[in-house]
Amino acid sequence: MRDFNCVIRYLAYTLELLVLFMLQETPGLLPHVYGVRPVLLFPAVVAIALFEEELPAMAFGIVGGLFCDFGLGGALGFHGAILAVLCFLISLQSRSIMQVNLATALLTGLWSIALTICAQWFFLYYFTYSMPEYAFTHHYVPKYFYTLLFLPLLYFLNRGLYQAVRAQDR
Amino acid sequence: MKDFFKGSSLKVLIIAVVVLLGLVIYTATAGGSIVAGLLGFVSAPMQSIATDVTGNVTEFFDLESYSKEELKELVDRLQQERSALAQQLVDYEEKKRENEQLKQQLEIAQLEPENEMRSASVIGRDPNDVFSGFSIDKGSLAGVSVGDPVITNQGLVGVVSQVYATSSMVTCLLSEDLQVAAVSIDREESGVVTSNIMTASSGLLRLNYLSSETQLEAGDIITTSGAGGSFPPNIIIGEVQSVEKSEYDISKYAVVKPYEDLAHVQDVQVIVSFPGKGEEAPVLPTDEEDPTKEDAE
Repeated sequence: MRDFNCVIRYLAYTLELLVLFMLQETPGLLPHVYGVRPVLLFPAVVAIALFEEELPAMAFGIVGGLFCDFGLGGALGFHGAILAVLCFLISLQSRSIMQVNLATALLTGLWSIALTICAQWFFLYYFTYSMPEYAFTHHYVPKYFYTLLFLPLLYFLNRGLYQAVRAQDR
Repeated sequence: MKDFFKGSSLKVLIIAVVVLLGLVIYTATAGGSIVAGLLGFVSAPMQSIATDVTGNVTEFFDLESYSKEELKELVDRLQQERSALAQQLVDYEEKKRENEQLKQQLEIAQLEPENEMRSASVIGRDPNDVFSGFSIDKGSLAGVSVGDPVITNQGLVGVVSQVYATSSMVTCLLSEDLQVAAVSIDREESGVVTSNIMTASSGLLRLNYLSSETQLEAGDIITTSGAGGSFPPNIIIGEVQSVEKSEYDISKYAVVKPYEDLAHVQDVQVIVSFPGKGEEAPVLPTDEEDPTKEDAE
């Protein structure tokens, strides 16, 4: 029964990531704020990692990251590798250092999404294009804050999902 | 914590990261992979549906001019008609879009009958793309290939940069990756159209490498020159908004405003074949000419 619930939960996470990928890619659905749109997959994988063990958290980080890589059309694996490491660390942190609640979720989202977006800027923009400072302040920083807005929503969604399926397990 | 360093989880993480980094290197050098192709095959139809639904919902909510009573009346009437028109409504949006695309294709085809084109719809825009790149619902099965120019009836919008079976990625004209040999037909002056993050965020382009005695003025129309064989000649790019002095040397550059809203384009045409395609080497500025840009088209 436990395994079955795990499978159901993992399928739900996969479906959630797929739907969020569709939503963030669909033109005209999410409004532009300061010329940018949010990356829904970042807070989603962070929220999943808060509740899951290290290896499933890492696996969903990879899935979310590969979706991001595919959407961007660049080299596959960049976001996958970054989110794999981050989700692994987030899961480890939530199991050994701090309790999981909205405040710690927001705190975790603050540093982890900041790291991801800084890595994007540094590896995908800084060495390739001109005016990196302008890009950072006019694209990456607004995108960071816009993305963070979705963290509470996705935290509650994944907490509900985790508790619902885990409750049946007991 | 000690157990963590001794346990198998860390080993799995290290293996996963090494595999992913290998994938990064492989896809960066080979330019594509089975995984990307598979993801494209799976996601393209779903993205297409999501885009259609969004278009319909947006259209529905764009009814500000109606009063509450009028809207209620409209809803009642539509509900009555719904059952009779159900099948037609299913087909309506698709037919409408197809009609728009064909009309657009006909207009362009009449202007440039020698170009072979495919109609396509924009199905995705990635929020991580700084330069407004997008994906379209036509891929290699429709004859689209890397490097094909993408246009609308308002002019050039980009170039196909990656192709999967049923979808393709398009690098927008606003991207710093793209350089287009361009000319002003009125003044017979040529240059290279490119962009950077600052102009791209305003939806503008730069026509670089103009001489210090340039005669270009605001309002002059800029088109592709066809040099390099990457783009057909005479495709409209935009009109000159102003002429400025270059920050780096004595040359000047023109700020060009595209006629098309490049960040919100919805229906496009892909030119899969045109006379002179790939006949000459692409125009590549040297590092000395433009210190801001190194990447070739």
